[in-house]
Amino acid sequence: MGDHPSNIYELRPVSIIRTLPQIKDHMLFQLKLEDGTTWDSFGHQPGQFIEVSIFGKGEAPISISSPPTRCDTLEICVRRTGRVTNALFDMGRGSTFHIRGPYGRGFPIENLKRYKLLLIAGGLGLAPLRSLLLYALDRKDDFEDIILMYGTNNPDNVLFKYELLSFFDRDDIKYLYSVDRDEEGIWKQYVGVVTGLFDRTTLSSDDTCAVMCGPPIMYRFVLQKLIHLGFSKEHIYMSLERMMKCGVGKCGHCAIGDRYCCMDGPVFPYTEIENIKEAI
Amino acid sequence: MKTIAKKDVKALLSLWTKEYHVLAPCRTARGDFIFADFSEESFTLDYKKPPLPPKSVFLPHTEVIFTVENGQFKETVTAHNVVLFGIRSCDMMGILQCTSFMTRDRNDIYYSTKNAMARTVVMACPGPQNETCFCTTTFSGPVAHKGFDLLFYDMGESFIIQTGSKRGEDILMSGPLSDIDNAVARRKIEAFTKQAVENIPVVDEITEAMTRLESGNVDEKIWEHFGQKCIVCGGCAFVCPTCTCFNVYDHESSPGHGIRARAWDACLYGGFTREASGHNPRATQASRLQRRHEHKLLYYNDTDVQGGLCGCVGCGRCSDYCPVRIGTLEVAKALVSN
Ligand SMILES: Cc1cc2nc3c(=O)[nH]c(=O)nc-3n(C[C@H](O)[C@H](O)[C@H](O)COP(=O)(O)OP(=O)(O)OC[C@H]3O[C@@H](n4cnc5c(N)ncnc54)[C@H](O)[C@@H]3O)c2cc1C
Ligand code: SF4
Ligand code: SF4
Ligand code: FES
Repeated sequence: MGDHPSNIYELRPVSIIRTLPQIKDHMLFQLKLEDGTTWDSFGHQPGQFIEVSIFGKGEAPISISSPPTRCDTLEICVRRTGRVTNALFDMGRGSTFHIRGPYGRGFPIENLKRYKLLLIAGGLGLAPLRSLLLYALDRKDDFEDIILMYGTNNPDNVLFKYELLSFFDRDDIKYLYSVDRDEEGIWKQYVGVVTGLFDRTTLSSDDTCAVMCGPPIMYRFVLQKLIHLGFSKEHIYMSLERMMKCGVGKCGHCAIGDRYCCMDGPVFPYTEIENIKEAI
Repeated sequence: MKTIAKKDVKALLSLWTKEYHVLAPCRTARGDFIFADFSEESFTLDYKKPPLPPKSVFLPHTEVIFTVENGQFKETVTAHNVVLFGIRSCDMMGILQCTSFMTRDRNDIYYSTKNAMARTVVMACPGPQNETCFCTTTFSGPVAHKGFDLLFYDMGESFIIQTGSKRGEDILMSGPLSDIDNAVARRKIEAFTKQAVENIPVVDEITEAMTRLESGNVDEKIWEHFGQKCIVCGGCAFVCPTCTCFNVYDHESSPGHGIRARAWDACLYGGFTREASGHNPRATQASRLQRRHEHKLLYYNDTDVQGGLCGCVGCGRCSDYCPVRIGTLEVAKALVSN
């Protein structure tokens, strides 16, 4: 890739064009490159991430939440967590900061094309999966039908609520939602953990690929379900999270066995990591 | 081939200092020896295994990677023409492994620029430098087989010098050197190497531990045992010639001004893998020790091994310096003990 900057840590300036509050402490940021180039030339793929770099605070890996089919902006959905993300929340429209990327291996688009897509998201895990969801919808001719299973901890924490609602009348995408708890009794859909959704639909395991992203606890249970339903391991992909510093395979923080989550992942076929004990 | 009398080595190094930054074994005022800037007063040929590997020449303990002014990042790649004189063969292999890792896939120019400007002069070992050397097990010594620009063989009163590269030849263009018949030199080198290899016993537990790890035939309680003992100093990683992990941090001296730097880090620390949510995929000291040792003996990268056995080059320093004796040797022996 000749157009990679020669310094792998080199930064590019971006500015915030719009901030769209999602749920409490979660914000969608729309970004613009400030070095005169456009996102078309950024070369990002669904499932990849960027390093958000705010001088004095540090850097944080953040998934790209918008698909490369929509290059008028780049969207990231951020949870207010610590130094870098707090600093980002304190910035408004027009503020500038730096990014590096795009980094990592995204979703295996070519492999997914011939299959139905089962997307399983927990909480903020929807952020990277949204890039794939929107990509598949924008390239609908290339993809089969989509099922989205999305679990959050309570009804107030549904991300991208209006966007998801706007797809409601499409018959090529099916949603199943769950909330862990519904103390006020307002939730009309399933109450329970996301794996409970598997009992509420029929899946054809031979022609479906499952792709998941969520909190660490989710993976083991979802895997059990999928294997039980007869999914072959080759049809299961997962996006993993690790502490990352460099994003380019050098600092060692994100290692998983002989892999580096930042380079070999964050999206892994299950078959690549099933024998690495610390992976899941 | 060339030879040099031991008493003339100082003169050769002095000559090199005109063009290069020469790092060589030096005796400190307190009697320790370290690799430091060559000076006639402190230089010594009477040294064993250097306490620290030369990795800091290419990956300094702390390195500024950007200076920041008015919020603008300016890259700060620094490098000098260096001659590393007298490094050990295991450390040469350590450099090769680090260089492969730091330049493969994506080139870390902070590392590779320094590396490209360095000449390596290896001192072959006639035997173990102390009781923890196991380079014959890891195919990294006692005589370097690749990577060096020059290789010195100790022949008593003099050294025979083998050149490993054009750059090595270049720095031997002048100086107090004499010629030796190639066939004679080769015979002497062969005899030296044969004896040196015999002097350093192979540690079968290392290869056996690797086989066990590969097949999953290990008692997990061993990690618990070492996890209990470890005092989490990180020393094993810092003295290791093949450990390269680092942290990145900013220092803002005034708003929008300061530095972004990186500094050595170690997988032995709990914070190394702790995510912002608090979740830690390596939550126990046992799992972190397991990681360190599996990275050396199981999860090393085949390309990075560079003709060695694995991700450990057999220098024995982790065994030398761990305050509670959790070195690769001790861990390998424990892994195969049942
Ligand atoms: C591949 C990937 C994609 C991610 N995508 C998103 C996303 O789309 N939205 C979102 O809100 N969060 C995402 N995260 C988590 C996000 O990176 C952390 O919440 C963030 O680093 C916290 O930084 P902070 O400085 O605000 O927090 P602090 O706790 O102050 O973190 C300090 C430093 O620790 C490191 N760090 C801490 N936690 C993590 C972590 N979980 N992963 C990596 N590095 C960490 C960072 O280098 C950070 O600079 C993602 C993480 C990964 C690995
Ligand atoms: S040197 Fe020993 S005590 Fe220190 S971190 Fe390494 S194993 Fe633990
Ligand atoms: S693991 Fe220990 S013996 Fe092996 S190269 Fe590192 S410090 Fe030396
Ligand atoms: S984040 Fe540095 S190696 Fe992956």
